[in-house]
Amino acid sequence: MHRLIILIALLMTWVLAALPCAAQEEVAGANRYKLREMSTGYYKEHEVLPSRGSPFVQWNAPAQSVVAGGRAPSATYQINAHAMVPNYLHQRCESCHRAEAHNNRHVTRNNIACRQCHGLEPIAGINYYFSPLNPIRRHATVCAKCHQGASSSFALYVVHEPQPLLAGTATSFPVLYWAVWVMVIIAIGSFGLFLPHTGLWLLRELFTRKKKGGDA
Amino acid sequence: MRLKRFTPTQKAFHALLMLSFLIQAVTGTARMYIETQWGRVIALPFGGYDGCLTIHKVVGLFMIVLFLCHLIYALYIVFTQKVQSEDALWPSMKDFKEFFAHLRWMLGGEAPRFDRWGYWEKFDYWAVFWGMVVLGATGLMLYSPLDTTRYFKGWSLNVALWVHRIEACLAMLHIFIIHFAIAHLRRHNFPMDHAMFTGDTDLDAATEERPSWINRLRASGELKNKITGNAPVIKVALAYFIGLSAMFIGIYLVVGGIVNIGFVNW
Repeated sequence: MHRLIILIALLMTWVLAALPCAAQEEVAGANRYKLREMSTGYYKEHEVLPSRGSPFVQWNAPAQSVVAGGRAPSATYQINAHAMVPNYLHQRCESCHRAEAHNNRHVTRNNIACRQCHGLEPIAGINYYFSPLNPIRRHATVCAKCHQGASSSFALYVVHEPQPLLAGTATSFPVLYWAVWVMVIIAIGSFGLFLPHTGLWLLRELFTRKKKGGDA
Repeated sequence: MRLKRFTPTQKAFHALLMLSFLIQAVTGTARMYIETQWGRVIALPFGGYDGCLTIHKVVGLFMIVLFLCHLIYALYIVFTQKVQSEDALWPSMKDFKEFFAHLRWMLGGEAPRFDRWGYWEKFDYWAVFWGMVVLGATGLMLYSPLDTTRYFKGWSLNVALWVHRIEACLAMLHIFIIHFAIAHLRRHNFPMDHAMFTGDTDLDAATEERPSWINRLRASGELKNKITGNAPVIKVALAYFIGLSAMFIGIYLVVGGIVNIGFVNW
């Protein structure tokens, strides 16, 4: 009897200890690795394959065929975001991504090329699981190439910044929109008051002789 | 006859603020316009884009320290009651009345009888206060993006940059247009009012422009303590040199900035 209890206990320990994880480990984007990554500079240790989901529903499988690409929003999930773009080989990034080529200071000030962040051909959509620009790892695989120690919070900097004053920004980046409009209204109010005021003052004084005295 | 208007401490604050503000204006504008030839040329003496950024950061820290020193100084003279009611820069109802009275004078009415500080001087003082807080806070955020994003999300840097930029443009345009027009270009001050550099002002001119102040000094018998001799010629010449150089730099930045505004990807 005693032997049997010990045997069952051992068996149970073995079974419980060997319980397989429900899902594989969370990836580097999780906040819990941020400090470790910043201090060590090692990023890829925690990166693992996406889990398969349940045995019956492969929820991590691509929603559509990988050749969707092109203009559809799902292109950002494809291994080759430009798979369906006609005549792709003979075009420049700017031919289609006109705004993106100028709306960021990485390009206009530091002469960074699109491929330095978006990777080489085939250029994966930024949400494709293995893309270097996937938000779960872009701080490590892209930002940290220049900004050593970049954290996942750092990678939330909006590189392709929308024009802050345009109406569309109110939905795409509301904090920027409202902050900039408040500042602009303060500026307009201040100059709207003081420019005419000072202009009138200068004019009035131009035609007023001082009664006495030298310089002021 | 000259009348004392600013103490050496106040003159030192103004001179240091002016020097650091001009450095920030030039290095900041150079970086804002680095895409243009004009921006690259004004960045050149400071070592290009990177040199400008380094100088901008160091001088920015200096300005924050200067601001803290000024806070301590201001609190000290307020709490030791060295400032009488009408010498204080705190805005009051009287300033609003004088503002409208001044507007009426511009349209041909009677001039208001200003005391020691006109409403525009009080506005300038508090505008610097507000600007220091906004520019200092956003500037500190932008100082080290890696450290900032430990406490704020990365997109706050987009916001901080734009707020810093607009507030800086507001400050520069206010100083280089409004402040220079009032202190330098108006007829009674032309080519400049050197009171902030030599510390004294002409008694007759002050009597005409700020009669309330002079009457108050006469009534309290303080006027004779405040009368000084003329500042030495070399001091006045130096004041003119500094003031007019600052005005030249400021107007150069404003004109260049407006001319090149279309060549930058905003």
